[in-house]
Amino acid sequence: MKAWLQAAVLCCFSAQAWAADMALEKIEVSTELVAIERGVDAMMNDCHSCHSMKYIKYRDLAGLGIGKQKLDAWRGDQPVDAPLLAQIAENDAVQAYGKAPPDLSLMVQARDGGADYVYSYLVGYYVTPEGMPGNHVYPATRMPDVLGIAGATAQRGEIQGRARDIVSFLSWAADPHQAERIRLGYYVIAYLLVLTTLLYAVKRQIWARLNRVE
Amino acid sequence: MPGRVIKWPESVIKWIDQRFPLTSFVKHELTGYPTPRNLSYWWNFGFLAGFVLMLQVATGIFLAMHYKADVAHSFDAVQHIMRDVNYGWLLRYMHATGASAFFFVIFVHMARTLYYGSYRAPRELLWWTGQALLLLLMATAFMGYLLPWGQMSFWGATVITNLFRATPFIGDQVVVWLRGDYAVGDATLTRFFALHYLFPFIIIGAVVVHLVALHTVKSSNPSGIDLAHKDNIPFHPYFTIKDLYGLGLFLIVYSVFVFFMPDSLIEPANNIPADPMQTPGHIVPEWYFLPFYAILRSVPSMVGGVVAMGLSVMMFAFMPFLDRSRIPGGAHFRPVYRAQFYLFITDMLVLGYVGYVPPTSSTLLVGQWATLCYFGSFFLVPFISKAEEGWLMRRGLPAEIAALIESEAIAIEKRKLRHRRRKEDRA
Repeated sequence: MKAWLQAAVLCCFSAQAWAADMALEKIEVSTELVAIERGVDAMMNDCHSCHSMKYIKYRDLAGLGIGKQKLDAWRGDQPVDAPLLAQIAENDAVQAYGKAPPDLSLMVQARDGGADYVYSYLVGYYVTPEGMPGNHVYPATRMPDVLGIAGATAQRGEIQGRARDIVSFLSWAADPHQAERIRLGYYVIAYLLVLTTLLYAVKRQIWARLNRVE
Repeated sequence: MPGRVIKWPESVIKWIDQRFPLTSFVKHELTGYPTPRNLSYWWNFGFLAGFVLMLQVATGIFLAMHYKADVAHSFDAVQHIMRDVNYGWLLRYMHATGASAFFFVIFVHMARTLYYGSYRAPRELLWWTGQALLLLLMATAFMGYLLPWGQMSFWGATVITNLFRATPFIGDQVVVWLRGDYAVGDATLTRFFALHYLFPFIIIGAVVVHLVALHTVKSSNPSGIDLAHKDNIPFHPYFTIKDLYGLGLFLIVYSVFVFFMPDSLIEPANNIPADPMQTPGHIVPEWYFLPFYAILRSVPSMVGGVVAMGLSVMMFAFMPFLDRSRIPGGAHFRPVYRAQFYLFITDMLVLGYVGYVPPTSSTLLVGQWATLCYFGSFFLVPFISKAEEGWLMRRGLPAEIAALIESEAIAIEKRKLRHRRRKEDRA
């Protein structure tokens, strides 16, 4: 028990710590196709070389509304049913960065803070006084500042917009049926409200019989 | 031939009735089953629990058709269900939310029993079968949580199976026997899947026993007094419609969770595939286990923690012995017991919070006090209930209640007298 407690406490203070103590920037995730499509573009340019998205297939991107020409350029000779695997081999990535870059399919759901966490992480890079790259949200990160925000001044807003588009795409990828789910949810709740109101009316009517008898 | 159309099913039913007590069963247990007319909406939750059980079985069977119990494939299988299976996301979110809904409904059902003193004679066996059902439900939920094979699945199962090391003499063997291996792995996953599929059917069997006990002693009611014949009404149509209306309300809340915030009940870390080499920063069980987990962590020794946690779940079974008051109606007519009830609920919430946050010296201290309060409130029940009974009697009870207690006391005396006489006769 004691060992477990110690382990738990140690983990909280280790480099693996979650970003709980770091205030995350709140962002509004876009569900519009234009933003998500910009996000796919950025993802394919900036992330895809190292990160896989193994639960997303090229076919899914077509279903989302990405044009055929773009898709064909991305997938090359891979079939449409192929998942988005990283371009770099995992061993090479481990050699270069010390650990395998995580799969991004569920990234937005796999961190406390969700989309806010991923966004704050992407724009959380800075240059330490020693001139080394650092990240406010996840100090132990091995990923380089791919969006180049640490040194940016004038283009900061543009880079933040790109990060937001990437997060919008990752949010879709983590839960592709979200829009359908919410749409269906309104119908279900509306139906249940009507049904429950009717059941209440019937209940009132049936129970009214009791008072009549007496 | 409209006349024959009406007669046709009657002859079928007659044919069946000669061979099987269909009509009399339905009449005795459903249409004519006498139910107190003054039941409040708190009495809807038993039916709701039965409904959620059926919902879990139905969604679970379809999930099992697409799931694979294999450490290499389980995480992917869940994503396959979420993305590729038609309405698989709906099945999975209904099942995951259903587990939380099940515990919520059962906790309310238990709180109602405690508040109104429904566990008291003659309903002890009804209460104990319910206690057994709670244990079965906890075991089923715990094993089901391993199946997505996420980080929290793996580490939760590791921490909890590890607790069985506290078994005297054969602790290590018991842990290996439970896991099927030295560590939680493929053998654990496959057996948990098999048992997670089996247990619901054991639960259904236990529910039948629970209902047989219920239909023998009949429902308790807010007054705490067994009602006169005229105050009972047939279950159908009065309570069928009341239960259906309650079900409508329940389904609205349930659907809000399923369709609009299904991830609020899933720990983010469980969206990372299980990795035996990397412990997550903070291992937390599902919300419904948090108070008991907090008690486990509050006791400084492992064996003590395990015993305390086991006791904390089993304490409810002792309530029929602990509550010595003869005032009917549970907390409704007993101000001190009522205060105790609300303090207990508050204590549960405090324990839940302590179980959720990472342990620090201050939360540990709060947890230890809350654990003391938890057990203290049970141990004090006999003394407080007796003192409260005396106080209420001195203050003066309504005439009917005083008469009721008197008549019960006379009945007990008579029973004792009869017993003594029989003994003397034998001598």
